[in-house]
This record gives sequence, C-alpha cells and structure tokens, in this order.
Amino acid sequence: MTLEQKMDDFKAQFESGGPPYNAPKAVIEVFHRATEDLRRSGLAERALKTGERAPAFTLNSQDGKSISSAELLAKGPLVITFFRGHW
Amino acid sequence: MELEALQAALPDVQRLGANLVAISPQLGRYGRSVHRRLNLGFDVLTDLGLQLAAQFGLVFVLPDYLETVYRQFGNKLDEFHGENAFRLPMPARYVVDQQSVIRSANVSPDYTMRPEPSETVATLEELTKGRG
Repeated sequence: MTLEQKMDDFKAQFESGGPPYNAPKAVIEVFHRATEDLRRSGLAERALKTGERAPAFTLNSQDGKSISSAELLAKGPLVITFFRGHW
Repeated sequence: MELEALQAALPDVQRLGANLVAISPQLGRYGRSVHRRLNLGFDVLTDLGLQLAAQFGLVFVLPDYLETVYRQFGNKLDEFHGENAFRLPMPARYVVDQQSVIRSANVSPDYTMRPEPSETVATLEELTKGRG
C-alpha cells in the first residue's frame, strides 16, 4: 500500500467519527477550518523551493549526538523530512 | 506513518549514496521515544525553537480555535517543544544535493498529504545519474 493510501485510510477512519478515534464532528470541522486557513495564508507557496539553497544546520539527534548538514552532504545528497511530532 | 514509509525506503536511499534525516521541534526525549518505537535506521533531529523550519519558511502559529482543541486532547505543544507558543512546521520533504541546492521540495499546508517515498527515491536516482 502506498503512503497516500495509508494516509487516506487514516483520514477516512478519523472523519467517520467512529472508533478508534471517536472524533466529534466539531473537532473534525476545526481541523478542516485550520487546514483551509493555512492553505489560504499562502505560507506553503513562500517556503523554500527547488533551485534555492538549503540552509546549513547543526542539530542534536535522538541520542544527543550533534549532526551537521555539512558532514552529511560531504557523503552524498540529503533527504530532509520535517515532521510535526508523534503525540 | 510517513516515518515508517521512509524507513521502508531507506535501503533505496542508501543504495544511491544519500542520507536521510527527520526533523521535528519535539525535545530530545520525544525524538528518542519515536526513534525507538519505530525502530528507525535514520536520525531524528530536534529543531529547538523551530529555528531551522523557520529558515525553510515552514512555521505557523496555531490559531486559537485549534490550540483549544489540541489542549483538549493533551497535545501540549508548548511543553513538547520547550517554548511558550503553539507552533508547528508544515510537513515538508526536501532533497538537497551536495552543493546545498534544493532539488525537490514538497510542502503541504494539508497535514493529511505527503509525497510518496518513491518520488523522493526517483529524484535521488536522477541526481546520481547526473553525477555519473
């Protein structure tokens, strides 16, 4: 199954209001409104794009190691995924 | 869900000589727990104060009506992120070449949409071809 299919399944399950999430209708509407507001803000269109330079970084990993983009890029191309977190 | 899918694609990423990192504003202890729970073969980095996400132009402040719902569900973003605000990065995936140039950018205002890992692998394949 592709990631898109998995995400679609999750969304359908969540928006059904049934188990395991039992999301109230009002909550689902809040999420829709928030996504729509964010879309309309145009923020995504202003984010860095293909052809632009990626900022360098040095950040701590899960085991407290300092990881720099310069070191990673010395070895090869780099895939960076920004995620919101797992709550 | 996305991290699991990227984990599945990790052998392809590495075969192409590339590296992969996942970045979130969550403090280290949360990164540690997700890393362990999903048994990830790539690093999960903490972007303290969303500084890097801001440089990429991804950060938004949650509107009050959304913050209220998050609080109801116990999603204390301020605690998770160690700051006095409810902010998040838009989900995004970038492929960066060795000259630090962005070769693909996927940014979504809709948190239920993500690019397929296979698209990312295809971009890396193009890059490798270009090099050879």
